[in-house]
Amino acid sequence: MTAPLLEVRNVSRFFGGVKANLDVSFSVEPGIVLGLIGPNGAGKTTLFNCITGFFPPSRGEIFFEGKRIDGLSPDQVCRLGMARTWQKVRPLARLTVLDNAVVGALLRTGSVRKARELAHQQLRIVGLEAKESALAGALPIGERKKLELARVLATQPRMILLDEVMGGLNARESEDLIGLILDVKKRGLTQVVIEHDMKAIVRTCDRIVVLNSGEKLAEGSPQEIVNDPRVMAAYLGDSTGAKQ
Amino acid sequence: MKAIALYWGLPLLALLLLPLWIKSPYALHIFILLFIGIATGESWNVIGGFAGQYSVGHSAYYGLGAYGAFILLQYRHVAPWFGVWVAVAIGGAIAVLIGSITFRLRGPYFVLASIAVAEIIRLAALNWKDLTNGAEGILASDLPPLQLGTYLITDWSSKLPYYYMGLAMALFCVGVNFAVKKSKLGYYLMAIREDQDAAHSLGIPLTTYKNAALVISAACTALAGSFAAFYIGFIEPQQVFGIDVSVQLVLIAIIGGIGTVTGPLIGAVVLVLLSEALRSNLIAEGLFKLGLSQTSAAGAFLKENLAHAHVLIYGILVIVVILYMPEGFVGFISARLRRKAAAK
Repeated sequence: MTAPLLEVRNVSRFFGGVKANLDVSFSVEPGIVLGLIGPNGAGKTTLFNCITGFFPPSRGEIFFEGKRIDGLSPDQVCRLGMARTWQKVRPLARLTVLDNAVVGALLRTGSVRKARELAHQQLRIVGLEAKESALAGALPIGERKKLELARVLATQPRMILLDEVMGGLNARESEDLIGLILDVKKRGLTQVVIEHDMKAIVRTCDRIVVLNSGEKLAEGSPQEIVNDPRVMAAYLGDSTGAKQ
Repeated sequence: MKAIALYWGLPLLALLLLPLWIKSPYALHIFILLFIGIATGESWNVIGGFAGQYSVGHSAYYGLGAYGAFILLQYRHVAPWFGVWVAVAIGGAIAVLIGSITFRLRGPYFVLASIAVAEIIRLAALNWKDLTNGAEGILASDLPPLQLGTYLITDWSSKLPYYYMGLAMALFCVGVNFAVKKSKLGYYLMAIREDQDAAHSLGIPLTTYKNAALVISAACTALAGSFAAFYIGFIEPQQVFGIDVSVQLVLIAIIGGIGTVTGPLIGAVVLVLLSEALRSNLIAEGLFKLGLSQTSAAGAFLKENLAHAHVLIYGILVIVVILYMPEGFVGFISARLRRKAAAK
């Protein structure tokens, strides 16, 4: 078995008395797509925030390529090669689409010219090359999601965390993004995706971790997860099933 | 490229040659004020415009530049063209200190902290009488003549040397803005302005870059402050550390259009000309020429009060600009051009 790229060990995060995450552990091997699912409020985004340094876990440890990263700041985590997108997209609204990607690309180079080349490439991958000179704030939601993806790809990461890149998209746009996730996987990038659309999850993910009320409820292959009665119960609100 | 050379080259050539025709000291005085306005507006633009950190405490750096160079000349007999650079370095160094404190705060809290720090420095200047001579201020002693070997360049007796130095300073500050905008620093600052969390997640160390921007901005502001001090020949705490100095240079950038290189240029032209026209009562006189009777009630009122109302008119202008041109003159015009181009 290969050494995991990302390892989350017994991570808990409390906000006052609220347990957003409790004792969550999982690991992500290089090259796979891991799905992170769970009902609203299960603590998926909180876990992303802990992993990417936006706030430190209250307890537990996080390792990236064997190096302990909990407690690092978001820019340090990104520099190590782990980049994230945002559930509520955060375009740099008054910059052009190209410049948004250039900002990402500048992480690995001081040269604006080289960063532009890299940015061009990433925008071509996600299919936004025709919109390069549009202002990012003027894009419709589907294209904003693609821009988020291009921007994190431009930081040349080893691993990306996608927070609901398909949220709010229509069927055709979702299809585009499923294609992109598979495309990015082919390039050897490891991915963790938070998603609600089970069809998309089953098609893209190698393994799935299910969170419920901040705790890990189940982990397994897509087939195992869709057939797990506890997962069904958690989504449909059957408390007897969810509490085991 | 050609168009840029034309847009910037022609006005620059005109400004270089202007003193050949215009000998009036008053006209040169207006231009020198304009250069100071451009330099301060462009300086503020680096931190306020590109990085989106609305410092309303830039009088701190303006005053440090002024006092630094003046004190060195007065008590240590350091000639201004060396003392100014020491003052600029002091401004930059203090900026690191202020930045590392105030950049912990975001949005309106940062604005308030920047005002508070500038007020602390003003009060220090007012009360540290051994060093600053307190509220009485410092009158510059005669400036030593500027010589190259034995060749006398200027003895500072006319406005001409100030004109060219002011022009060079304004150009320098414009150049700094261009360089920042085209560099990695500029991209990172704009990313921070648009969305700090997004910028952070893309690997940008926020405080480092904000501090870098503040140091550049502060050093340029200190340069402008010391130049202005030597030009006027007298400084006192309220005049260089007062909040109206901070507000003035924010207004230059906001009215012109923040985050653009040309914005503060245009803002300086509008504000310097407007305030000068109000101060010298040009506007009232213009109205009289247009047929308003000087003896009528309205005429007498304007003649008496318009010159004092320049802060009021400033205020009205700012409100109009913020309501109808939130991106300043430059943003307003470029949006119009874009709409025109789209209509075609």
